[in-house]
Order: sequence, then structure tokens, then C-alpha cells
Amino acid sequence: METALNRRDVFKFFGVAAFTALQLPAADPTAPLFFSRDEFALLDALTELIIPSDDHSPGAHEAGVAAYIDRTAAEAYLPEDKTSWRQGLAAINELSQNMSGSVFLKAAKAQQMVLLKQIAAAEKAPKTEAERFFTQLKQTTAFAYYSSSIGIHKDINYKGNVMLDKFVGYEAT
Amino acid sequence: MLLQFPASNFSDIDFHTTYDAVVVGSGAAGGMAAHALTQHGMKVLLLEAGKNQDTTKILHSMEWPYEHPRRGKMPPDYHALTRNEYNIRQPPYAQGSPYTNVVSYIQGWGGSDYSKTLVVNEKEHPYTGTRYAWVRARTVGGKTTIWGRLALRLSDYDFKAKSRDGHGEDWPISYADIAPYYDKVDEYLGVSGHPENLPWLPDGKFQRAVKLNDAEVHLRNTLKGMGRVLTPYRAGVTTDGLKHNKYRMRCYGRGACNRHVGGCDIHAAFDSPTGLIRPAMDTGNLVMRPNSTVYEVTVDKDTGKATGVSFLDSDSKKSYQVKAKVVILAASTLESARLMLLSKSSLYPNGIGNSSGHVGHNFCEHVMGPSVAGIKTDLIGKPRTLDDGRPGGFYVARFRNLKDKSDFVRGYGFEGGSGCGMIPGAAYTTPGFGEEYKKNVRDYAGATIEMGAFGEVLARYENAVDIDPAVKDAWGIPVLRFSYHFGENEKKMAADMAESAREMFAAAGFEIVSVTKSILPEGWSIHELGTARMGNDPKTSVLNQYQQSHDVKNLFVVDGSGFVSASCQNPTWTIMALCWRSCDYLADQFRKGEV
Repeated sequence: METALNRRDVFKFFGVAAFTALQLPAADPTAPLFFSRDEFALLDALTELIIPSDDHSPGAHEAGVAAYIDRTAAEAYLPEDKTSWRQGLAAINELSQNMSGSVFLKAAKAQQMVLLKQIAAAEKAPKTEAERFFTQLKQTTAFAYYSSSIGIHKDINYKGNVMLDKFVGYEAT
Repeated sequence: MLLQFPASNFSDIDFHTTYDAVVVGSGAAGGMAAHALTQHGMKVLLLEAGKNQDTTKILHSMEWPYEHPRRGKMPPDYHALTRNEYNIRQPPYAQGSPYTNVVSYIQGWGGSDYSKTLVVNEKEHPYTGTRYAWVRARTVGGKTTIWGRLALRLSDYDFKAKSRDGHGEDWPISYADIAPYYDKVDEYLGVSGHPENLPWLPDGKFQRAVKLNDAEVHLRNTLKGMGRVLTPYRAGVTTDGLKHNKYRMRCYGRGACNRHVGGCDIHAAFDSPTGLIRPAMDTGNLVMRPNSTVYEVTVDKDTGKATGVSFLDSDSKKSYQVKAKVVILAASTLESARLMLLSKSSLYPNGIGNSSGHVGHNFCEHVMGPSVAGIKTDLIGKPRTLDDGRPGGFYVARFRNLKDKSDFVRGYGFEGGSGCGMIPGAAYTTPGFGEEYKKNVRDYAGATIEMGAFGEVLARYENAVDIDPAVKDAWGIPVLRFSYHFGENEKKMAADMAESAREMFAAAGFEIVSVTKSILPEGWSIHELGTARMGNDPKTSVLNQYQQSHDVKNLFVVDGSGFVSASCQNPTWTIMALCWRSCDYLADQFRKGEV
């Protein structure tokens, strides 16, 4: 995706920054609203592992799932709704340290999968902090992905939300 | 085509006039009273506690989730009560909540930013006593702005149920008395359905029925073999259009009915504002004032008759009085009972119309919870059909205690549906992650089928509401205190619901994913009924068969309060048919000078 379009965006950004720099410290529009860059990268990777891009349709990364969660956490009204996300991500890294000696994003792909499979196995009745976080992350990722344009139109290929002259289906006989 | 209400404000009311009738509440009952009485030429004032919100503009039914910054969810300072909170907290549920706005559980479903202002902020509207998931919509149109649309008739199996099983009381009417009014409601408002010729679920004047999908047709055929009937959802929706109503369009199968908690912004689904109130305004005989919180029915000490009502402007909280020759309560089963109990005077020390002591008692509704979910396995991985482009799936008619007897009395029906909506439910229930999870969600999304039961809660004197003098709402009005529990009959019935649901899905050969046996909190059905029941004996009933107070001839209560029993069929259509019948009687009496 390194295209001329991207370069034009960069050019535009510089133009705006030059102007706003006169009044405000330059804000980074690509910065997450709530998470640190490291946390956001971990969140983005985890959501993409839960709903990956495949032959059928793009996955959670392209659907902007992490950005949706970031915004949700930033706007959360109760402090515990913010901290649960931050603590959950920390719990994943802690578990990864224990299992493979490095944080999740530094661990080998195979080790990442072992970790995820372990916490996903307890999905219906999570007990540890990492397991509880997986359930929270999975449910939120599912909503954010399947309510996105990619989820609705490209993955599910939902045919509704249109004006129908007649109902579809079979008459009761 | 879809016009706004004229800006209704204070100056619309003439405080020097004595109106022919004042109607309290603008939902199904209040709208119908306004319609029926203005048709007879009576000058009517309609008071609504809530605001005049135009659902045409606020629902945005066809907006995609990703077009909304929070995917349709409420702002972060809003909180919808969860099922668990009703179980673990004591009412008032909102007390101590850190959220600015606390709303009923119904807002917890789906995207609800659009309908959040239609229901009340529980912080302003406390109530006390036993657990009750009380959904209140204070807005022009009341709960009809978001109702579930199932439009069913009752039958003599309901009206004469006591004669069949000995419980409670028979209604003072039979099906023959109300049938012509069901017909009138069908034709005036539109109802979709397929005739089944069942004596216990009478057919209506149906418009185009909704269609069934593969799994639903299969279940219908299976149930036929068991002597049971699955019929396409009988929706209070005009599927063919209504030539006489310029405020409503016919249904175009947009599938928007449940997407935002409810509500139809083209008004194909019945709602009181476009179905009843606007046409009533067009007669020139109706004045409506939203933002008017009625707190008392006033009485003449000499004649004992009602003289009008006192109300507060809902914003300024200033008090006003209006005069009317007839007072009609249509504020909902619980709010009308509250108003009667609040209207105490030397003549009526127990509240107006309450010489029987039955106001607030015999409170009943529907019990919910038991349900079944399954998979029609041959549909897994098949191309999906368009399953949600219709106002509902199916309804399974009552089959218990019609000819045979079981270890409980009365019956229940099921509402259900199959297939894939905009956001597949399988996304939340499919285990695991990765490509396999993603494929399973796709493959199973169209193969699911589920149904849940609605059962009759017996009307019992001891299930009641009264006034809690110690707690007041944001307007300083004492609140309701609940003393309401499900009984043994409901528990036995619920056990049978779960078992029969499992039995039917098993008979159809569906792979059963889950059978839910637990009962949802009291109030979940949003079908409160019976707090001012009708009857022929003034000692044991509050209203006569025309919903007229036995004690006060010019006081009528035309909402669900008058129900003698809950039946298991959803009440809205019966509320409107009864109200129309009562208003025809009232208008006749009014002409003769006898109210």
C-alpha cells in the first residue's frame, strides 16, 4: 500500500502541521487516543489473530477493530472500564514472559498461538486475568468486526437493510 | 408525507374551557381514546408526561453501524441495567449508580443510541419494593414507539378461563363482544398474518403475511404433525398500506424493526403518534400537550364526580389544573393505578375509584425466560438467504390446557425466528479464534433457529403495587412500591416451556445448541396488566365492562389496567380493541348526558 496516495497524505499532513504549529504543539493524529503505542500494537495484533485476514475477506486490522476499542476505552465513563483493557494487555505480556521469556509481540508466532489457545480454552468460564481478558477481547472484537463495513459487506455479505417490494421466503401453507 | 406534529405548547390549552374529555397518556390506549372520542365529535385534551419526539427523525433505521461513531451504542455516561443488576440490586436500581443516565434493560440490546431518549432515566423515576424490570417510555406515543409489534387476539379460552379451570375471575365480556372491535383495529391500523382458524387464537383481518425461511417452514411442518401451529409473525404492521392514513407507509422489509431496540421510522409498524394521534388532530377536536406530568384526578366534593386533572409542567415543575367532563386514564397499567391511589380525598380516602380495595391488585403479566436455540445442520455452509427483511419471524400458538390438562393451568406461546441478521449472533457464540472461527461464524450464521416463550402469569390479589410515601420521583410525586412474585403455577409452567421447546426442536431434527430453563426477572415481558380489573361486581372489581369506574361514572381507565387475566397472548391489540369499545359506549352515554 506504499502508493502515491499515501505520499500525498504525508504531504497534506506536513502542510497542516506547519500551520497549526503556530498555535499549538503539533498533535500526532496517528497516536492512539487511550493506549500507548506499544499497547495499541499489541491490541491490533491480538484482534488480527482472533479475526485474521484470509482468502475470504480482510481481518480485524483492516477493519479498524483496535481503533474502535481504543476509542471505546478513551471515552469509557468508569475508570475500571479503562483499566481493564490496560491491565488485560499487561496480563497477556506477563503470561507471555512466563511461557516464552519475552513479551507477546517479541515471541515466536508458534509461541503466540500456544498462548492464545491456552486462554481461549477457558472462554466460557474464564478464571485467570488473561483468560477473562480474552473473553472481553473476543466479544468486543466480534462486535467491532462484524459491525464494520468489511464485516457486514465483505465477510458476511449481508443482503438486507434494503427496501424490498416483497418479503423473501416461503408462504405458510 | 411524513409530517411533524404542530409545535404543541402551553398556549394550546384553554384553562377556562371544560374539555369534554381529558386523556392521560398517549400510548396505545391514550392514542386510541383520542381517536375514538374525536371521531364522535368530542373535544379532547391529551396530556403526555414525556416530550414530543419524532421517531421519523431520531431512529435513523437504515444507518449502518459503522456510520455511527460508537456503532450505534449509547454515550458512555449512559448505562442500561443488566439482567444481573435486577437480580442482585434492590430497587430503586439507579440509586448509587455512577452513571448520569440509567435506563431499563431494553436499551441493552443492539445499537440503542437512537432510542435512548424514548425510555425514562431511572434516576428520575425510582420505585421500591420487590424486584421488577419496569420499562417506561415517557414520550409522545409511549411504548408504541418501540414495541415488539406482535398483534394477537384473545379468545373465550381467555375471557372465560375461570369457568374452565376455576382460577381468578371470568371477564365481563366474551369474544363476541370484542370481535367487531378487533376487526376495526385491524382495518384502521393494519395487521399482517396468515389465517389458521384456531378457536384459541382467532384470525384477524389480515394484510400480506410475512414469509418463512427454510428452517421455519420445516418446524411448521413438524409441529403440524404434533397438532401444534407455527404461524408467520402476526405483526401490527401495515404490509399492504393504509389508504386512509397519510402519515404511515407500508412495510418495505428493511429489517430495521429490532436493530435499534425497536421503532419504525416510516411508521409501517403501528405507533400511536402516526396511527392514531395525528389523524385525531386532523379532526380539529384534539389538543395535545406533551411535557405534562399528571399527579392527581380532581373531584367535586358534592357530586363525587371527577372534575379534571392536576399536572406539573415536566420541565418547569409548575402546577396547573385543567377541567374536563370526563377523565380517561391511559397512563399504563402501573402509572394509572399509581394515579388512582394518589388521588385521595375525603370522599375517596383509599384513592379514586377504589372502594373495592382492588386498585393496584391482581397485577399480572407474562413470564419469560425458557427458550431453545438450535441449528438446522443441512443449512451449515449454504449460501445465506435474506432472513431479517420482515417485521418478525414466527409465533407458535398456545397448545397447553386446551383439551388436555397438565400440572399447571393456562398456557404459553413462543416467539421465534431463524437465520442471519446484520450482525450474526453466531459471532458471539462460536468458540475459538482465527480462520476456523471466522469460517464457522459464516457457515453457521444462516443455520440458526431459536424461540422463547411468553406464558400467562395468574392474576392474584396478593400481587400488587401501592404508594411508597417515603420515596418521591424527581417531580416530588410519591412512587410505586412493588409486592410481586411469580408463583408455583408460573414455575411449573416455565419448566414445561423449556421441555416442550426442547421436544419440538428435537422432533424437527435440529441440533440443539442450548435449552434455557431459567425465568427472567419479573417485568421482563413489558406486559403489565390487571391493576384495576373489570367485573360486574363493584365489591371485587374496579371497572365495569366498559372500563368505567364503578364508583365514579365519569372516570374511565382504558389501558391494560382493566384486564381480568393476562392470557398468554401479547396485549396491545386487545388494549386498543377494548378501549375503542369503551369509548363508543362513553360517547353514547355522553350524548345522553349520563356520565
